[in-house]
Formats: sequence, C-alpha cells, structure tokens
Amino acid sequence: MSWSHPYLLYLLPLALLPWLSRNTEKQIVWESLLPQDVVSTVIGYTLRVVASIVIAALIMAVAEPHIPEHTVQRSGQGAEVIILLDRSRSMDQPFARRHTYRLSTKMNFKESKRSVARYYLTEFVSSRPDDRFGYVFFSEQASGILPLTYSKETTLATIEAGGLGRGLTKTDISVALKKAGEMFEGEVYRGARIVLLISDGGQILSAEQEQRISQILQDNNLSLYWIYLRSVSGMTLDEMPGESVLWQGAPERHLHTFFKSLAVPYQAFEAGSLDEFAAAMKNIDQQHYQTLLVERKMPRESLADYFLWVAMVGLLLLTASQIYTWSGVSRAYRSTRH
Amino acid sequence: MSLSYPKRIFLTALVMLISLLMIMAALWLPQVDREIEVMDSLFVIDITDSMNVEDVSFGNETINRLEWAKEYTRQSILSMPCGSHAGLAIFSEARSLILMTPVEVCANYHDLMQMLSQFRPTMAWARSSEVSKALYTAIRQAKEITPQPTVVFLTDGHEAPPVHETLFPKFTDTPGEVPGVIVGIGGSDLVPIPKTNEFGEIEGYWEINEVMHKDVYASSRGDAAELNDNRPRTEHLSSQKKSHMETVSRRVGFEFISSPKSPQNLIKEMQKISETRQQPVKYDLFVWLASIALILLLLVFLPYSMFTKQHE
Repeated sequence: MSWSHPYLLYLLPLALLPWLSRNTEKQIVWESLLPQDVVSTVIGYTLRVVASIVIAALIMAVAEPHIPEHTVQRSGQGAEVIILLDRSRSMDQPFARRHTYRLSTKMNFKESKRSVARYYLTEFVSSRPDDRFGYVFFSEQASGILPLTYSKETTLATIEAGGLGRGLTKTDISVALKKAGEMFEGEVYRGARIVLLISDGGQILSAEQEQRISQILQDNNLSLYWIYLRSVSGMTLDEMPGESVLWQGAPERHLHTFFKSLAVPYQAFEAGSLDEFAAAMKNIDQQHYQTLLVERKMPRESLADYFLWVAMVGLLLLTASQIYTWSGVSRAYRSTRH
Repeated sequence: MSLSYPKRIFLTALVMLISLLMIMAALWLPQVDREIEVMDSLFVIDITDSMNVEDVSFGNETINRLEWAKEYTRQSILSMPCGSHAGLAIFSEARSLILMTPVEVCANYHDLMQMLSQFRPTMAWARSSEVSKALYTAIRQAKEITPQPTVVFLTDGHEAPPVHETLFPKFTDTPGEVPGVIVGIGGSDLVPIPKTNEFGEIEGYWEINEVMHKDVYASSRGDAAELNDNRPRTEHLSSQKKSHMETVSRRVGFEFISSPKSPQNLIKEMQKISETRQQPVKYDLFVWLASIALILLLLVFLPYSMFTKQHE
C-alpha cells in the first residue's frame, strides 16, 4: 500500500484534538458538585476515542492510500511473435494486380504490398489478445524498434507507421533474422516463440550467415514463418515440373531451401492474392494457441473508501450522540424556564 | 462571542451532520467528467552524422546532439498530460520515416522509451542530410495520420549537401496547415563531424574534401553561381544553423526554438499552435469532500476554551 500524498500524514497528530477540547462542556461552578457516574465517564472516553479515529481515518483517506499499478503473471493462450516486415522499396509495388481482388475503396487502400501486409498484420494482432509482439524494422539495416510488448496500442501504431511513406533501399534478410533472434535473448522462456517474416524477395546467404542464423534460431527456440509475397506470378518456392528455367536458382528459392534445412519448425506461405494472404495469417493464428505465461497489468486500486467507511460509521455514532445530547439539554433548559 | 450551552451543542451537532453528509457524498457520489486539454504530437529526430557532434550540455554533462534530442524528447513526453499522444519518427537522407504513429503517452511510456532508445546513426539508410526535404515529408505524412499530430522536428539544421539560399526545394503544401515546431540543437561554433562505420562506432572525422561545399544546382546559374563560389568551404564542420532553420520554419509555417532549456518551452509553444483536443477524464471528487468533512470536524474539536480562558 502506498500514499499519493504521504506528507498529509503529518497531520495525524490532529487526531488528538478531541482530548484537548472542552468546548462542548458546560461551565460548572464547582467540579465536585458533579455526580460521579462511571457510565458517563466510559461513554465520554469512548466518544473521544471514536472522534480520534474519525479524524485519523479522514486524514488517511485524503492522503489517498492505494495499491499501485502492478503486474501479475497468469497463463494465457498465445505466443510471442516478432514481426519482421520488409521495408524495402520493392514492397511499394502493387500486390496481386488482378482487379478481382481489389479491396473496398472506402479504406483509402493503396494496393502496395506493404499496405496489404499492414492491413492483415493489424487484423492478426487485434485477433490475438494474449500475444506479446515485437517489431523489427529492416531494410539493409535492422533494428528492433519495438521490443516484445503486451501493448496492443503500440504494436498497432508501429504496424500502422510501417504502412506510411515510401520504402527504403534494399533488403537484408540475414541481419533481420539475426535481430529477431537477439530480441529474445535475455527473455525468460514463456511459451511459443514465432518469427513472422513478411517479404517479397529472397537472398543468397553466405555459409557464414547461414550458420549464424541457424544458430540463433535454434538457441532461442524459435519457429519461423515466411509469408512470401510473390513478385512474379506463377513462381513457387518449391520447384515444379515444367516451369520456366529462369526461376531455377532464384534467390527466393535459395532462401526457402535454407529455411527448410533448419532444425527449427519452418513453414512458408506463398501469397499471390489477398485471399491467400488472409489464409496464411489465419493458418498461423490457428496453430499458435499454446500455453503462454502472460503478464497482466493490474490497474492502481484506491483504498480510500475503506478509510471513508470507518470515518462515516464513527461520525454517525458521534453525530447521533451529539443530537441526543442536544435534545436532552434543550428539553432541560425549556423546563427550567417555566 | 459567547453562545449559550444548548446553542453550542446544537451547532456542534449541525456541523457534525454536515461533515457526515460530506463523507457519504465522498463515498457514493459518482465520478464527474472533467475535460483536460491534450494534444497529438509526432517527434521527428535527426539521426544523421552531424548529430554525433558532442557540443551540447544537459546539466553538467557534455553529450552529443542525438543524445540530447532523445533526452529532450523523453522529458517532453513526460511533461505531457495523460491522454496526450506522441509518435516517433527518424530522419535521414531526404525523408522522415515514421516508426510509431501517435500513442497515448502514459500507458505506453515504456514502449515509447524503448523505441526512442533504439535511435542510432546506424539506422540511417543513406549518408546525406537534407533537412528541408525531410521536413516536408514529415509534414506530408503527418497529414495522413488521424487525428493530425503537431510535428516536433529536432535537428541541428545542417544541410548536406548544402542548399543555396535562393534555390530552395519547393514546399508545395499550405504553410501552417500542419502545425509544428523546429527544435534547434547544437553549439554555435563550427566543429568537426565524427564519421561512423556500419556498427555505429566513430571512425575519424569528415574531411574537407569528402563533403560537398556548394549547391550543385546553383553552380549552373549565373548570379547564384557567383555567390556559390564565394562560399566558405566549411561544410565538413557543423554548428547549429539557426538562421537556416528560421527560414525553413517560416516557409512551412512552423515555430522555431533554439536550444530550449526545459521541456516546458516546447510544450508551451505546442499548446499555442496545436489544435488541442478536449479529452474527458473521470475525476473523483472524494478528496475535496473528505477534506471539507475533515476541516469541519477539526473546527468542532479545536480547543477553543484554551484561547478564551486567557482572556478572562
């Protein structure tokens, strides 16, 4: 328990005032004329004790006692997700150019891959109440601009900002994945950990880079999901019989092959249309409801009411006795006047 | 003044009764709505190389301009009333990049600070610093955000490559449509600019022959070219470019404050120019009611007799 205005507690000695005050007593010619009455004495002392309690309780209530905001751990259903959204220039190009897949125009939707990604990420984040999200911003460089957080507001604001403006230079997926791994370093293992990579391009990694990525993913127990936004229609990540020779050895395929060789769970979703993109997000959504340790923020709780209750009950007693005294005294005075 | 005994008793009973009613009101009166003025802001922080210059001080410590900008942003966010929103953006090359759209400052303080702490020169995507163009993009993007935030642009005003006075990039929007403040950072002496490598470590300084000293476009224009040729070759050094920032801020209808001492300077400036929103907050009157009850009770129990006896 803590106090909002602890300095007000210095007023507590004022609770002794009822013991100093004699102003409600009648002036007596000679004290010994008063009859000694044990019951009266006891009642008098009790009323003073009550008055002291009332004053003390009021001072404490005004000092605003409260339990400060704190976090409690409970188990929830979800995962810890690091979002890796490609910020490169190619993401500005339109996604799924076929017009049948046009989204409603009232959203002022620019159909770039980045806006589409932003839209579905927003849906995804909003639909998962218990998840903890982090966000890595990457093009050629990567920085974990949003470390894992429970706040939906900041996560959504970061995703929204990702849809503003134009894209940056090129993509370097290796630094991005490394960064994603680092985001979990020093974190307690709470449950499923996901790296969600959304990108439209691949990359040929050096042996050293591959080694480092595979190490970091394994060390941190991560699952990798790659939502691949297809740039060339028809091309798949896995080789298909009778396909164009041009696609063989494409950087995307290299990356896909490398990801498949990893010891960690990996799944690729190839999105060539909005429907496929939505399906991919839904698929991930369904897979990851495992038990997760969640921190919940408990709001600050005021305890002032308890003190006010004490004060009220006490004062009710005092007021009642005072009114009783008054009625008795005024009756006595009236009768003497006759 | 003296009152008869029954009157005194009655008065005491009455005051106690009022006090009791106050406590009851404190317990059961519903919270009232109170309006507070909040604003939406977008902090754009310069992360170009010239921000690595250590020529500003916070307290007794001399720190670099970027650290100063971050600390100033932190304190400003801290000074805003709960309910205000703040977003974060960085600027490098010729554009501003919004990293988080405005979020409520009290509930999200931790996340805002986490993001702010990540701002480093290594996040820059190119090695130039076109302040005015970056400012224009910040304004344009701020318009896409609802509710539209007030832009706070923290920079030293160093344009690299330099811009000729008469050949400014055009500002095509309406000046003042998006309100904003430019916060000038840096000392007034020209000092060398540290050069950072890809890990953000400082590796020597920008040399005189490594930077452009003239506006390339001005060189091809008669009169401008002449002026251009006579410019001192000091672009590898940096100081706070106050007059330049004043010009830029006038052009876009912003306010300019140079090296403010306290976050209040900025907040006051922002309150003047921003459209503040009225945000209703729930406000509990119990403290006031309980205080009245307390004062009334203390009046009842004050030892008046102690004072009056001295007079007799």
